[in-house]
Amino acid sequence: MSNKIVPSIYRAVIDDVIDAIRPEFEEFGVSADLVEKLRDKWEMKIVASRVADFPVEPSPSQPTYPYPTLPHATRNVPAYVPPSAAQQRSKSGGIDARYALATAQYAFPPLPGPTLPAQNKNTSTPVAPVTAALSTLPQTDGPSVSEDDDLEPVPVPTRIGQPSGAPVGKGEFAAGKDPAKDAEQIGSDLDDDSDDSENDAEDGEEAQAEIDMVFCTYDKVARVKNKWKCVLKDGMIHAGGKDYLFQRCTGEFEW
Amino acid sequence: MATAYYEFYRGSSIGMALTDSLDELITSGAITPQLAMKVLQQFDKSLADTMVKQVKAKTTLKGHLKTYRLCDDVWTFIVKQASFKMEQNEVITTPRIKIIACKNGDAIEAGKK
Repeated sequence: MSNKIVPSIYRAVIDDVIDAIRPEFEEFGVSADLVEKLRDKWEMKIVASRVADFPVEPSPSQPTYPYPTLPHATRNVPAYVPPSAAQQRSKSGGIDARYALATAQYAFPPLPGPTLPAQNKNTSTPVAPVTAALSTLPQTDGPSVSEDDDLEPVPVPTRIGQPSGAPVGKGEFAAGKDPAKDAEQIGSDLDDDSDDSENDAEDGEEAQAEIDMVFCTYDKVARVKNKWKCVLKDGMIHAGGKDYLFQRCTGEFEW
Repeated sequence: MATAYYEFYRGSSIGMALTDSLDELITSGAITPQLAMKVLQQFDKSLADTMVKQVKAKTTLKGHLKTYRLCDDVWTFIVKQASFKMEQNEVITTPRIKIIACKNGDAIEAGKK
């Protein structure tokens, strides 16, 4: 529930901020175009981060919107399913994806991918084959791994697509550490990726070195022996690559 | 703007997206850092106000507390095996999560106290 309201809240915040800073921009003698440019950049980044479902903007300046890939409800998804995957595959993306959805032959287990239990709701079954299709298709074709929110325990160093590492990335999917070692040996081209692999190895259980965070205020924090109770307010949760908002949260922990 | 608002929301996805966009504009020389600061301050205010006004969801959180810290009226908790229960029986679990909580109320008020 609190993830579904995120897009509208974010949109309201963006509108509010942009409207309020227009006069500031004028005061500083900056052109009004820049306000729009800032707004566009901001929105693009938020949508690209896929922290929630965003309805597709009918904005002419961005024809291929990096559309969020299927977290929860699929109500906005249909024809637009994976333009991002399409870019990676460089084929007729939308049609292929829908065909894949129709056939839905791909087995689900190969990837631990976007199958976080938190994301699987009642309506997840139509989503599942599509996410599997999305997850498997980019791998077979291209070196770059698709979604950021793949909780892959395998530190695949192909997050940044690089031609020299392609055969290593593709072939060694289940091997885990081997691509990282190869990356270190090969040399400068893959230095960035070997650093990322180390991060992933360190943070193992976290998605792509992202840390789940909650930003909020507290009303009350209490402790009895090792039992902690707290009341949190107006919070934003970032977990598993998704954002959730709450007005109030009661927490109970054991230390 | 008489009172300041907490700035920690700048670390969130929406905040980082704004900060990155502003940085791009600064680097390209389109805006000054001062203007960017003003934008971020406005963002703090807008986000805080919108959250208070429009978000009504309540959740509960359970987990194993690994670390706790209180410094300058800011609690930081690190919780392992955390599970959030949202409305509509939605449950989100994470192996590890960090909670940053500032004292309720305006930033300046908290400073005075």
